Parts: sequence; structure tokens; C-alpha cells
Amino acid sequence: MLLELKEKRTMKLGWSSKKELKKLIAVNPGRKKFEFPLPFTDELKVNGKTSEITLKTDDKFGTYLLYKGKKFPVELLYKNQNRYEVLLNGVSYFFTIETPTSYKRMKFLSSKSDGNKNENLEAPMPGKIVELLTEEGREVRAGEPLLILEAMKMQNEIQAPISGKVKKIHVKTGQNVLKDDLMVEIHAGK
Amino acid sequence: MAIKSLLIVNRGEIAIRIARTCKKMGIETWGIKTSNEPRAHYLSHMDKIYDMSDEFSDVLVFLDVERLITIVEETGVDAVHPGYGFLSENAYFAQRCVIAGVKFIGPTPDAIHKMGNKTVARQIATKNNIPLASGTTHSIRDAEEAKEIADKIGYPVIIKAASGGGGRGMRIIHKAEELAQMFRLATNEAEKAFNDPSVFIEKYIQNPKHIEFQILADKFGNTIHLGERECSIQRKHQKLLEEAPSPALTEELRKTMGEIAIKISQAVKYESAGTVEFLLDQSNNFYFMEMNTRIQVEHPVTEFITGLDLIEQQIRIAQGEELKLKQEDVKLNGWAIECRINAEDVQAGFSPYLGTIEKMVQPTGDNIRVDSGIVEGDTISPNFDSMVAKLIVWGADRNEAIRETKKALAKFWIKGLKTTIPFFKIVLENESFRCGTFNTGFIENELESMHDTSEEEEALAAWFAALKYAEEREKEETNQVDFEQGKNINPWVLNKRLKSF
Repeated sequence: MLLELKEKRTMKLGWSSKKELKKLIAVNPGRKKFEFPLPFTDELKVNGKTSEITLKTDDKFGTYLLYKGKKFPVELLYKNQNRYEVLLNGVSYFFTIETPTSYKRMKFLSSKSDGNKNENLEAPMPGKIVELLTEEGREVRAGEPLLILEAMKMQNEIQAPISGKVKKIHVKTGQNVLKDDLMVEIHAGK
Repeated sequence: MAIKSLLIVNRGEIAIRIARTCKKMGIETWGIKTSNEPRAHYLSHMDKIYDMSDEFSDVLVFLDVERLITIVEETGVDAVHPGYGFLSENAYFAQRCVIAGVKFIGPTPDAIHKMGNKTVARQIATKNNIPLASGTTHSIRDAEEAKEIADKIGYPVIIKAASGGGGRGMRIIHKAEELAQMFRLATNEAEKAFNDPSVFIEKYIQNPKHIEFQILADKFGNTIHLGERECSIQRKHQKLLEEAPSPALTEELRKTMGEIAIKISQAVKYESAGTVEFLLDQSNNFYFMEMNTRIQVEHPVTEFITGLDLIEQQIRIAQGEELKLKQEDVKLNGWAIECRINAEDVQAGFSPYLGTIEKMVQPTGDNIRVDSGIVEGDTISPNFDSMVAKLIVWGADRNEAIRETKKALAKFWIKGLKTTIPFFKIVLENESFRCGTFNTGFIENELESMHDTSEEEEALAAWFAALKYAEEREKEETNQVDFEQGKNINPWVLNKRLKSF
């Protein structure tokens, strides 16, 4: 699989550009960068040490990475545009994949928009809204219970992720929600 | 009277577990095929199947007493095993089985009723001088009465469902202001889950250990205990990891608590296998919490260290046999740990993770046992609990058991789902867990992270994400539009496309 990739031609930067793409940057939610030169190689540098890495698939284990003689089960759980959630050895890792240009833009944009964020509270699991504990326009503190979501026979208290003002409530008592359904919008700050 | 055929009114791993013992004992097993999961793995372990997969009902058959009794009559079985959950602690169902002339594998309806209603159980405990956390022995009418009692016994208090169990219908209240809302939530949840909104209050013992004793009792009044299980690793009162024995008990304390456990069992003329749960505080005071009148999820750890088959014991007792084992014959050998591998997203507060198991590779070995009702290709649905498998590992001592569990977890592969496996890896490394001082506050107080990660693994994941991205881009460029030709399309359209990108 990897050899195949190596033989392919180098990638273009994208639409209508002829400039060669030199590397890809994976950025984790803590803004940590992982850089990978293009074309893709089967070498990975961790803490200054380089080792060979291969992606394998077989009937017994499915897809896994082979690195330093160890097997790491790996799969792509979620992908939306350049946002990736990778499940490796049972743990999720989140990255956005950037090109050098988009990385610069991301850094520029995030430096401007920091501080006044809105939070969209989505249903963490499918279930039913049993009770609303807040109303639109109310000030809430981070950690304050907003509603009760019943799922898998448990009543789960859903709390405000940030302090701010409840901008809009999108659900009603008794309503069934699917995972990731928008439930409450909170406007950060006072 | 020997039991020749048995209906298992349960599903999943416990149905398979019961069938395994029945096979060993030469008992014919009946399973029930439901419309919810007509291709479920447990069915392949049954000798005979009662097929009702064409029936659709709002109530799951495993909860439907009337329907189950008709199945009992149609199949003509000698006995019914309820497993855990569902109707396993339902006195009415047990009574109906007795009336229908079949053996209910478990205690008498009377014992189930007395222990099942927590306020009645508290009254019995009080009468028999069994240590209890202070609180009420009757159910509370309303939030006002609740407040009155809470003010008297002092905060924090816990509201529990009288008919509760399994961690549902419980609320902890730290301040008087929270009481009214929590009372409402607890009664709500209790009514939903148990069809009984009544709740009671007791003093909340902060960060205790959860210690439970396995009891075996026959019809002749012989009652013994098989030692304890430590179940303090819990999340929202749901057990995640159990071990036997407990690192906290001395031989002396084991003897004292064991005797109390036997005493309360005898007070309700208990027969069959049962579990007496205690809270143990930091000064080694213990309090009776409740008795579970069924086989428990975590029974395999006791089986590993006693060498007994608890399902077999249950069946033999139900057949009217006398316990061969005396208390002095019970020898606890080595250490066993059980990890409940649930389909849960540990990184998102243990919320259920629904999905399909694409690959599952289980560890194997002489001292490893995996009880599972799920195979590759199965789906975790919101209809049932999120358990994928129980991993039980034995070692000669606690350190060996921990070491071997770690090895077994490293070999346990599940793909397509997020599970609690990474959580157990970090628990087993934790200092407080390793030295045995942990309590039920472990997850909140001792764990800095809910799963193990390493820089190396994150770098590997990043490499994989970048690779997937690169492949995607390659595909887009080769399969889709030729962008050099794109110049020929209407510049207005192109402009709009570029903007929306």
C-alpha cells in the first residue's frame, strides 16, 4: 500500500495551482503539530528517533500499524473535510490536516477569534429529553446542569460546557434526539 | 427432583454462561429468539429455541411476566433461570413460576421481595442488629419530608429508590438547596426504571469501599460465604472492574463481615446464590447496603478463586440438594480481576458508543476467561446494555493478576467501536489501585486521565490521519475534475465555487 503511494506523482496544492505540496501538517486540539514531508514515506520520527512504519491489513486483525515490531490497531472513526478522528489502540485522537498555506491561515484566524466563543451543545448520545433545567436568555455557569437526557435507561445530566448566556434551546421536553443533534446554544461571556 | 430442561429468560453473555453449565450437567436448554435480535449469538448455544421473532411488542419479552409464563407452559421445562437484570429480582415472576409448577432458579419469592424492597431490607437489618448507615427505614412522601430527614442526619445524604439496584434511581445531595430537584429526579428515574417511585434517604458515606460477599444457601438452612469481591472501581455507581479477594480485608475482618452476611441471609431464609453488599469506610467500619438475590455480573472472579461453578450450585440447590461444602472447606486460592469491556466512549464521559464490531480478537490462556455474548459483525444497539465482554484473569497473587490482566488487555482487539479497554490500562498502572487503597471515589479523585495515551501513539495516529488525507486528495485529483480544464467553465460558476470552498 505504501509502496504504491510512493510511486504516485507528487501532489498539487489544490485547485488550479501548479505548485508542489511539500508537506502535510496534522494539528491536534492542543495545537501540537505533526509534520509529514511529501511524498509520504514509511519513516516516522518520534522524540528524535526515526523508525519504519507500515500500514497492514489482514483477516485476523483488520487494519493495523506496524511500528518498532509492535502492532497498533487503527481505524478512521470520523472524517469531515480536513477534520479526522483516528482510533488507535482504542483511543481517539483528533487532528485537522493542514497544508503549509492552510496552516498559516488557521493560525491567523484563530489568533483573531480567541476569547469570544460560542458553544453549540450537541447530544452526546441518542436519547430522550426528560427535563429542561434552563431557559433561553439565562446566564449559566460552566458545569451547571442544563437538561436531563435519558439514554440507555440512565438519566444523564447535561451540563454547560462554558459560562455564558443561553442563546437558544433547540429541544423540548419529551423529544427524542439523535447523537450530535444540536440541543442548546450558549453565547460565551456576559 | 432433578432438573432435565431449563428455560433461560435472558440474553447475551449470561445466557451463554448458564447454557455452558447446563450442557456440563446434561440439562437441556431453551433460549428465546426475539424480534430485537433474531440472529443473536447466544441462540447458537441453546439446545432448543422458542422462536418469537415475528412478535413485535413494546415490552421486551424478558420483562413480560405473562408472556414468559405462556412460554414456560408451552415448552414444558422443569426450571427457569433468569440470569441477572430483567426479571431476576422480581418476586412476582418468581411466584408465577412456582404457581406454574416450574423451579425458579433463585431464592423464594418472599426472600426476593424482602431484599428487593430496600426499606423492608433496612427494617430486617435493624431488627437483626446488622450495621446500617443512618437514615430512614420507610419510604419518603415528598421533598419536604426528605429535607426534614436530611437536616436531621446531616449532609451529604443519598436518595435511593426503594426498588432500586444497579446504580439507578440514586442521587447524592451535598447541600439543602439541591434537595428538591434531586428528589424529583430520583423519584422520576425510580418510577421509570422500577415502576415504583418510592425512595428513601440515608447518610452518604463519602468515598467508601464497595465490598460484597458471595453467599450460598440451601433449603436446609446451611448458609456459607465464598469470600468477598471488591467492586470499588465504579462510574455513576456502575461497576467497571471487580476483584476477589479485596486488598483491604484482613482475615479477621473477612470473618466478621462474612458472618454478618450469613446472618442477614438467614434472616430471610435465603436459598440459592446471593450477594450481600457492604460499604466499608476508611476506619474499617462497615455498613450493610443491600442484598442482590441473583447471580451477579462479577460472579466469575469468585469462581476463579474458589474453583466452584456458581450456576451449578444454584441449579443443585434448586433441585433440593444439600450443600456439600462447609464454611471451613472454602479456601480462597490466588487472585482474580474482572474488567467489564463496555462499548463506551471513555473520552466523552463514558457515554454509550453505538456501532458495529468489525473485528474482535480475544486473549486466550489457562488463567484467562472471556465471557461474551457478542461476535464480529454484531451491533451494539441502544436496546440493551453496552457490555461487549467480561475479561477475567487469574494470578497466584494480586501483582501477578494485575500483570496478567495488563497482558490480556494488550491482546484484546476490538475494532469498529470505542470501548473501556484503554481505561483499564490506565487503572492498572495507577499507584492507588496498585497499593489497594482506592475507593469508590477513584475515578473522580485519583485518575488524571481516563485512558492511557503516549506521544508515540499520537504520532502514529497523526501519521495515519495524514496518510488518509493524502489518499483522499489523490483520489479527488485522479477521479474527479480536471482543474486545468476548469478554466473552460463559466467564470461566474467557477468564482462561486471557489468562494464556497
